[in-house]
Amino acid sequence: MSVPRPRTPVAGTTLLAWRNLVHDRPRFVVTLIGVVFAVLLMGVELGLLVGFARTTSGIVDHSGVALWITPAGTTNVDIAGRLDERRRFQAMAVPGVAAVDPLMMQFGFWKKPDGGNESVALVGVDLASRRAGPWNLVEGRIEDLQQQDAVIVDRLYARKLGVRGIGDTIEINARRARVVGFTQGLRTFTQSPYVFMTHRNALRYSGYRDDETTYLLVTLEPGAEAESVRQAIARRLVTVDVWHTADFARQAQKYWLITTGAGSALLLSALLGLVVGIVIVGQTLYATTVDRLPEYATLRAIGAPAAYLNRVILKQAAISAALGFGMGTLAVYAIVALSTFANVAVIMPVWLLAILALLTLLMCAFGALISIRRLVRIDPTSVFS
Amino acid sequence: MSDEALVRIEDVGVTYGKGSAALHALAQVTLDIRAGEVTLLLGPSGSGKTTLLQVMGCLLRPTSGSVRLFGRPLADVGPEALARLRLAHVGFVFQHYNLFPTLRAWENVAIALDLKRVPVADQRGAAMVLLDRLGMSERATHFPAELSGGEKQRVAIARALAGKPELILADEPTAALDSRTGQDVVAALHDLAHREQCAVVIVSHDPRVERFADRVLHLEDGRLRDDRRAPGDQA
Repeated sequence: MSVPRPRTPVAGTTLLAWRNLVHDRPRFVVTLIGVVFAVLLMGVELGLLVGFARTTSGIVDHSGVALWITPAGTTNVDIAGRLDERRRFQAMAVPGVAAVDPLMMQFGFWKKPDGGNESVALVGVDLASRRAGPWNLVEGRIEDLQQQDAVIVDRLYARKLGVRGIGDTIEINARRARVVGFTQGLRTFTQSPYVFMTHRNALRYSGYRDDETTYLLVTLEPGAEAESVRQAIARRLVTVDVWHTADFARQAQKYWLITTGAGSALLLSALLGLVVGIVIVGQTLYATTVDRLPEYATLRAIGAPAAYLNRVILKQAAISAALGFGMGTLAVYAIVALSTFANVAVIMPVWLLAILALLTLLMCAFGALISIRRLVRIDPTSVFS
Repeated sequence: MSDEALVRIEDVGVTYGKGSAALHALAQVTLDIRAGEVTLLLGPSGSGKTTLLQVMGCLLRPTSGSVRLFGRPLADVGPEALARLRLAHVGFVFQHYNLFPTLRAWENVAIALDLKRVPVADQRGAAMVLLDRLGMSERATHFPAELSGGEKQRVAIARALAGKPELILADEPTAALDSRTGQDVVAALHDLAHREQCAVVIVSHDPRVERFADRVLHLEDGRLRDDRRAPGDQA
């Protein structure tokens, strides 16, 4: 017997699902476009959410300390009252505390070299400890901040601030300042760019007294238990809040993303992407299913259990999800790469990618439900008509 | 030829609709189907042939009477269990072949093997054996659209034979074929019934099929008018 060797390995429902999809290519393309669009929309919106969250707490996350002491009632790192520096010495007396460093945060006016003003956030750091100091420095040295009028700004905001390079001079709150370095990628949620300087310079530019500051950053002694120390400081210092760094970061994120509604808007857009995806996948899968009802009826007539038919539909959905997710993810990462140069960050960590994959799979599974409902009612005797 | 009834139908009636709109598709039909014989269901359009086939194939519940498959009454069997019974014991051949257009000939057969849980690695070989038995191995990699009517029906028969069912039900298998091809297809079914000792029930309008039958049933207005043995195997 001369038997031609078939090339395709059979895998039952998988083969049928794949062939059903590719047999009607225009419809399959529409399905994939729908999934890609939904993945892109969900990915970018969720990536923006993560980007915004990290932006709102960037200074806190990079502080490198265990505890933050803030004026009582502080809701975020960008807006706060004043602390008397005596509190610093009170905190240092608490057992388990290794160091307490001041950090200044205050909004100011930046007058550009060619005129025009911008709002900026002055960040005064203790150069000795460098806690909450500028990170991702790409030009200049942090030591250069020791000069009396020295500031470091971020490259992302250079054009907005009207500066092009090291040595450019501007005015902050009507006092001369000079750019001595640039960071890269330090974004601000308030759109008032961070301007790093020494704590002393920040006091001078803000008009604060020498014994005032905004925050106190607590470094613990090795082996000290953070919660115990936090409670001890809170007991000793009145009219302040004492936070674990992670808690203060979460509080800052919560304030900007939930209180302002920015997070809700992004989540709503992501939800919209999910709904659009479900509708497109559901509609195209259903159309494919209706076209193939006689084939499903045949399968049922020859003895296929309902689960077998459902598997074909679910595998069609899974194939669409996998291919659409792959292409959609490429598009999302292209936008992530482009956002590196924008003052709005789209961040796609691995855990978010996993969530996006799960959402895509759920979206396609929901889209398949309407087809499965149709197959439940299929009459196997219809094959004889 | 075995005396044991694969299918026993007793006083079966099927009524569609209710009241004055009721249509009695079958009434008081009683018969047995045995292994190793070809039974031909003859009758004019609307006589109830296909309805009877559906009852035998566990696809349609009768309105009255009882159906037993291998001695098991089917009255209280649920839809999923009926599907399992069809899968295990019944092979179907349809008038319009009902092949999956997106699958090659051998893949159409392999789907039936897949349903019967034949391991994926064995499906291709088993499908090719079945196709070869029907003279279709050379056309195994073709899609249904690339096959003639007779070839499609042979693939459909190969699919029906997957897993060696004891009962093969063929609904108008020659209706869409020319005379010569139709006779070849019925001859193949006849050969299978005798070689594999399975029961083959063929619904047909075509009196030329009669010479391949061991038994001829004549339906009219849903009633069994005639049940006679064929004079002999003339195939």
